[in-house]
Amino acid sequence: MTFISSGYNPDKPMENRITDIGPRHYSEFLPPIIAKNKGKWLWHEIIEPGILMHKAESGDEVYTVRFGGARLMSTGLINELCDIADKYCGGHLRFTTRNNIELMVETLDEAKKLKEFLNSQKFKGGSHKFPVGGTGAGITNVVHTQGWIHCHTPATDASGTVKVVLDELFEDYKKMRMPAQIRISMACCLNMCGAVHCSDIAILGYHRKPPIIDHEWLDNLCEIPLAVAACPTGAIRPAKKEITTEAGETKTVNTVAVRQERCMFCGNCYTMCPSMPLADQTGDGLVIMAGGKVSNRISNPKFSKVVVAFIPNEPPRWPTLAKVIRQIVEAYASGARKYERLGDWAERIGWERFFEKTGLEFSEHMIDDFRDPAYYTWRQTTNFKF
Amino acid sequence: MAKHATPLLDQLESGPWPSFVADIKEEADRRRKNEKNVTYQIPSDVCDDLLGVLELSYTDGTTHWKHGGIVGVFGYGGGVIGRYCDQPQMFPGVAHFHTMRVNQPAGKYYKTDYLRQLCDIWDMRGSGLTNMHGATGDIVLLGTTTPQLEEIFFELTHNMNTDLGGSGSNLRTPAACLGESRCEWACYDTQEMSYQLTMEYQDELHRPAFPYKFKFKFDGCPNCCVASIARSDMAFIGTWKDNIGIDQEAVAAYIGGELKPNGGAHADKDWGAFDIQKEVIDLCPTECMWIEDGKLKINDRECTRCMHCINVMPRALRIGNDRGLSILVGAKAPILDGAQMGSLLVPFIKAEEPYDEIKEVIESIWDWWMEEGKNRERLGELIKRQGLAKCIEVVGLKPVPQHVLEPRHNPYIFWKEEDVTGGWQRDIAEFRKHHQR
Amino acid sequence: MADPKDIVVEFMQSKAKSKSKFYFNDLAALFPEMKMREAKKIINKLVTDGVLVYWSSGSTTMYGLPGAGKQAGAEGED
Repeated sequence: MTFISSGYNPDKPMENRITDIGPRHYSEFLPPIIAKNKGKWLWHEIIEPGILMHKAESGDEVYTVRFGGARLMSTGLINELCDIADKYCGGHLRFTTRNNIELMVETLDEAKKLKEFLNSQKFKGGSHKFPVGGTGAGITNVVHTQGWIHCHTPATDASGTVKVVLDELFEDYKKMRMPAQIRISMACCLNMCGAVHCSDIAILGYHRKPPIIDHEWLDNLCEIPLAVAACPTGAIRPAKKEITTEAGETKTVNTVAVRQERCMFCGNCYTMCPSMPLADQTGDGLVIMAGGKVSNRISNPKFSKVVVAFIPNEPPRWPTLAKVIRQIVEAYASGARKYERLGDWAERIGWERFFEKTGLEFSEHMIDDFRDPAYYTWRQTTNFKF
Repeated sequence: MAKHATPLLDQLESGPWPSFVADIKEEADRRRKNEKNVTYQIPSDVCDDLLGVLELSYTDGTTHWKHGGIVGVFGYGGGVIGRYCDQPQMFPGVAHFHTMRVNQPAGKYYKTDYLRQLCDIWDMRGSGLTNMHGATGDIVLLGTTTPQLEEIFFELTHNMNTDLGGSGSNLRTPAACLGESRCEWACYDTQEMSYQLTMEYQDELHRPAFPYKFKFKFDGCPNCCVASIARSDMAFIGTWKDNIGIDQEAVAAYIGGELKPNGGAHADKDWGAFDIQKEVIDLCPTECMWIEDGKLKINDRECTRCMHCINVMPRALRIGNDRGLSILVGAKAPILDGAQMGSLLVPFIKAEEPYDEIKEVIESIWDWWMEEGKNRERLGELIKRQGLAKCIEVVGLKPVPQHVLEPRHNPYIFWKEEDVTGGWQRDIAEFRKHHQR
Repeated sequence: MADPKDIVVEFMQSKAKSKSKFYFNDLAALFPEMKMREAKKIINKLVTDGVLVYWSSGSTTMYGLPGAGKQAGAEGED
């Protein structure tokens, strides 16, 4: 491996250094028809699943073909996307907030051809490369976090669980038969670096065992005050412990002690101290939350609620996860009114009916007991359904 | 030939949804063949080893990554996330596997020459794997070694005129919806404002000095497509003050069935003929719409701009013309004290360059949070601790009923001395003249 | 006023036995007469001058003296 310098001089890091330049200005990248009509759009329409048409004051029409991709994407695949964008739309493309990709053309005919082409592209294993859809009252791409691919505190994999769920719901990515859109999000631990707490359906990785403490090594690898300070519930304190080392020697070491009943399994201690690993094959799994939304449409934005306390990790295909998501989606699809989001539907029929219709089991874990907000979720009325 | 057998991951190659496993395998193949003759600056089998370590996680149900404290390039306190594999002997290609966050252009539009150039850098100096995009909005370059960080930064800044994004106790990379570029509902230019504020606050983005992370997100309308209200410490959400525009002919066309409601979003189920009473008027949360002499009427003064009617009839109804934005503050995910939605701070403010008024609000909030915020306390938690009224005072606004859903439930008002006639200093002797001991 | 560098380095060395990484707030407290944003300028200058280095948990950033602490060794980066 021959080292190739970019021009950077490690002995003089400030030499020719360029900093604080920010991103490129978006106007450099807008397709000409978009740049021309910016701020002058009149209305839009979904011509068919995956094809949007926007009409401008000028009379111009732009047809957008939307398709899904895994958010984890290789440069090879990006280059392939670039080839398509060069061929069909003058070298312009766009990504959406939910990991979809959009190509824009100027006639419906081109859009339909493009859709057909994108739908025909497949990986060797048989999966689609660029499935067209993700529009209107359907199920669009699932946003997610890193999981086992790259994170140090995940309780599950993100890319894998999302692949499984989208395989299960694939037909609804390409269709618009739902009462309203369903937004599904996935975060691989409770820190939620993908904020999933306001999604119609949220898949959340969750640990259930407090950290293991590597007493023999802790004081060599970690700074005890930092590990203590990292704990959001104050469950960690400095401690001394008599241990027998791997070599059989008995000695007293500086370490930490964890009040296990206080642990909320967040992994913040492991971030600060690699001698406090959290991951566990049987302890870790998934929580399912439902009924959140961010739009202000009709009702206020709302948080997702826990509807399944725990699903074990079942790699590689997480069958229980897929089944539970399907149950929620079908109950909603058949029960909700047009325009009604999943959370609005659950509130209208009552959460007691939600569990009945979805076939999910209610348990004590679904009753909030965490600090002040818990009280506001209990039922302070005689109005309920049997 | 694959370096590691991956029988479990192989099961994720089937099924219709794009398979990340298939994509990584193809990238591993490309690197093995190296038809472009790239002089790889990190191990060429990095993708193979990533599949190997992931297969191990699928087998034993646990992660094999350790956190690293490395933060970025020289002088920057963010933009890089350090990662080390906990089985480096088995998977040397990913022993060091750091992530770089690259600041995306607002609205995520690209030209192919830009993306190809980025891919070339990343093929040579990194794993060839990315996230398009990370949850916050950055382009995420997934996996490289420490010596390559400066080289990549040098190439990004010198050859691509592009900077890193934020991580740690920084202003995080701002994100915007596509706004006016292709949406008739954008009440302000989200992309421009995102860009301008990103440039204005480069120092805050690269050099951490906040108590914790801080996020800006820009949504052009209350539909909130980038979820600003749920996940940004400061959400800028477009809105308007005057009347919804009505094209009565188009309303009639919706009623007559010539136009498809909601832009055709419900096409794959038969919901019956469009019923404006049931689908629009009865669903209006403020009941401020009615039909009179065959025409749609709106009492705009009572409208809260939820967007439902506009969403259903985009060709008949338009957002108002007196446009600006609302600022909501303090949204965050549940860790620690529970999730928080953004709370309304500024009901309406104009969003016009150079955004001086908005910058004043931002900077007063930052000054307050930097002085008063505890370590690792998000803005929303500080607002909870010191009160929304304090936050309103900090930015110099007058409290108005719009700030609350309803007034307080308890009478425990912590009166200040200066607000009580005569102050708190009283004379016990004077009191005793009228009250025996 | 004493050189900010000396103030910060002395403070960090006095705590070196127990910890090597500090929040921005801990350092800003060394300059009580200063506004937070002024303190930020001074502390970041120390980074550019090579006196301090950042350490990040991903979500939070801390400051320390170069090479101090235990984790750098664990990461094989020193």
